[in-house]
Amino acid sequence: MHRRSRLRLRFAPQAAAAEAKPSAMDITAIRHFPLREPVSGNRYSLLRVTTRSGLVGWGECGFDPNADLKALQSAWTGKPANAYAAIEPSTPFRAALDMALLDILGKAANAPVYRVLGGPTRNKVRAYSSPRSQEFPVAVIDVPAPVFRNQGKAYQNRILELVNAVPATSDFVLQGNGLLTPGDAASVAATVETKHPLWFDEPCSHSNIEAVRKVSGETVVPIGFGSGISDPGVFQALLREGLIDVVRPDIAIFGVSGARRVAALAEPYYVAVAPRHNGGPVGTAAAIHLAASLPNFFIQHVPVPAAEQDRAMRREIVSPAIEANNAGFLDLTKTPGLGITVNESALEKYHAS
Amino acid sequence: MRRRNFLALGSAGVALAGTAKRRPLLPELDEACGCEMQAPGGRGRGGRGGPAVDAFANLQSGLKITGLKVFGVSLTPNSDRPYVFVKIETNQGLIGWGEGTLEGKAGAVIACVNDFRDFLIGSDPMQVEHIWQDMYVHSFYRAGPVMGSAISGIDQALWDIRGKALGMPVYKLLGGPFDPRGVRGYYHVDGATPDQLVEIRQTARELGVTCVKAGIPGYYEWIERRPKIEQAIKSIQIYRESLGPDIDIAVDFHAKTSPSVASIIVKEVEPLNLLFIEEPCPPENVQAMAKIARRSTTPIATGERLVTAYGTREIIEMGVVDILQTDINHVGGITGLWKVAACANVSSISMAPHSCEGPIGGLAAIHVDAAMPNFVVQEICGQVRPNANDKLWEEWLGFPAMRMVDGRFPLSEKPGLGFELSEESLNKYPFGGTRPMARVFGDDGSVVEW
Repeated sequence: MHRRSRLRLRFAPQAAAAEAKPSAMDITAIRHFPLREPVSGNRYSLLRVTTRSGLVGWGECGFDPNADLKALQSAWTGKPANAYAAIEPSTPFRAALDMALLDILGKAANAPVYRVLGGPTRNKVRAYSSPRSQEFPVAVIDVPAPVFRNQGKAYQNRILELVNAVPATSDFVLQGNGLLTPGDAASVAATVETKHPLWFDEPCSHSNIEAVRKVSGETVVPIGFGSGISDPGVFQALLREGLIDVVRPDIAIFGVSGARRVAALAEPYYVAVAPRHNGGPVGTAAAIHLAASLPNFFIQHVPVPAAEQDRAMRREIVSPAIEANNAGFLDLTKTPGLGITVNESALEKYHAS
Repeated sequence: MRRRNFLALGSAGVALAGTAKRRPLLPELDEACGCEMQAPGGRGRGGRGGPAVDAFANLQSGLKITGLKVFGVSLTPNSDRPYVFVKIETNQGLIGWGEGTLEGKAGAVIACVNDFRDFLIGSDPMQVEHIWQDMYVHSFYRAGPVMGSAISGIDQALWDIRGKALGMPVYKLLGGPFDPRGVRGYYHVDGATPDQLVEIRQTARELGVTCVKAGIPGYYEWIERRPKIEQAIKSIQIYRESLGPDIDIAVDFHAKTSPSVASIIVKEVEPLNLLFIEEPCPPENVQAMAKIARRSTTPIATGERLVTAYGTREIIEMGVVDILQTDINHVGGITGLWKVAACANVSSISMAPHSCEGPIGGLAAIHVDAAMPNFVVQEICGQVRPNANDKLWEEWLGFPAMRMVDGRFPLSEKPGLGFELSEESLNKYPFGGTRPMARVFGDDGSVVEW
């Protein structure tokens, strides 16, 4: 014990000196680019972080008109860009800052982000897309909300029809979107149980844990939650009781390292991770690195827009075309950082003013 | 043997050399970290590592441990699971054999057995329970599978000596047998085609074998695609269809599946009335396994990777499983297996001990099985038809060890564990070193359970 405190005394002056000295890795500028897809109107935010040495990192998060950019800038300008672990959950643009700092760290280390994070743990990233897109082989079925109570067998048959329309050889995700009552959710799950969906996403609201207990207790259909969850403690509560089979941290909320912590939380429960992602291609790039750094990753949602104009925008603002489907998988990038180039002039064109 | 002794000496030499070099640089270096709580009366009543037998000077049986040998026995030069056999010698010529085989970690167990040398040499081998506690408690960090296997090998050897000294088979010392005809067992039918299964059904009937165990095909992610899930269910259905309704079928998931995936399969095979599903998910998280069990009527078995009764307590007390498959070569030997069975019995949990290593552990398990009120069936990794291993074991021990007669492993009347084994017979299979167990990777290169 004495020895340890002696060591602390010996190293303290060095640590203080390191803090005071300006470093090439210090953040000198943070800029925000709010974007909107022209047809879908879907909005997301990009962040560009620059260091004294001239390294540039990009990140993405959900669009929030109330996010306090000035607070972010004053808190992080002058801070070391490698200190991504020091980002607090309350930091504005938290997810984008996290991705941008990892992008910079990778570039500084001349390595892809997944390598900085101890990967790759896999050589390709399984992916699926939104209901409207047929590009990826996993079908997404939106469960129709029951219009009347007591729809009984007719309602169940309606669900079965949708499920039976999916070829028996391909997989499907059932999406409840949190719209069903606990009883309806349990009954829908029981109806499709032997059809083996990959999972039932948001069968009911996760906020009433008793409702989730009911759905989980009555069927063995895997259940996924993540929508609107920003507190990892919510995942922990669901994991502790075995009420969740797919944890879905939203990368636009948690960033890469926040999602990695949620994945670490799920791992000792043998629970798989399928990060949520409803933003743009920078987010997809970050998701690829996240997936390639996790042991318990299962699948990544890629929000491919329905309109060609919106898809063109994604290809325009980010290169290379990382969202390309390769037999149901995304390829890993090999260049340093997130492995993408952001076309700043195109960002102006899609500015969400 | 010679090589091992040489290696042990060699490493000791290196350690001494290292200490000698460092000593002048750190003259005041104290081995104690300062976190050690001293017992009243100061450090080491009898000294740290000092003889523990003094307190029993007037209670000695007269037997004293004089030698400890540990053998790595590789049946093939590249074997990933060399048998680790422990031989304990005494001042009166009685010797005991035990097994601490730990697949993929043979070298570590051999080293760990040797680490216990100071606990054993000079001790009274009759004090099995006392020595067990000494090894376990005084190892401070408690036991994982490496130390559990080392203790298991030593413990079995001590019981063997005990039985021989008292002139009784070990199962009698434990209060058995419940059934003088022997203990029920099962063989493996993994990987058999439907046609082969039909044939096995016939052979099993002729041999009086009432139970078999099979596996499920492939490897699984924690969420799985439906073709994989449906293939697994189909494979289990084929076992029942081909083997018929009269034979008990156990299906080993081998912890390849997550609780989420296992829950689906385990529920869907309910109508097949399986004897049990084994290790439906990995062993670290008891609650996770409970999630599978609470949603199906199919009995669940697990436990081969759990060490000591302490390591098994939670799963017993939560009522998660129907059957425990404690492994006598890892749990802490005869002492460890007996205690787990006792704890399980209180919770109405049955025992189907795992023993898929060498013949010594298998034979030792039979003794404990014979004295368990809650015994259901004993595993051995043999086939319905004897194979090369069975021939080898017979060559070593002089009788067909771990072959059933009329569906049961017969009990021996000989004292101790009931066999003789010569070091010479093992010489033909020298230790080929430690080799890793299978390392399996998925289509995307990621690590998967097998």
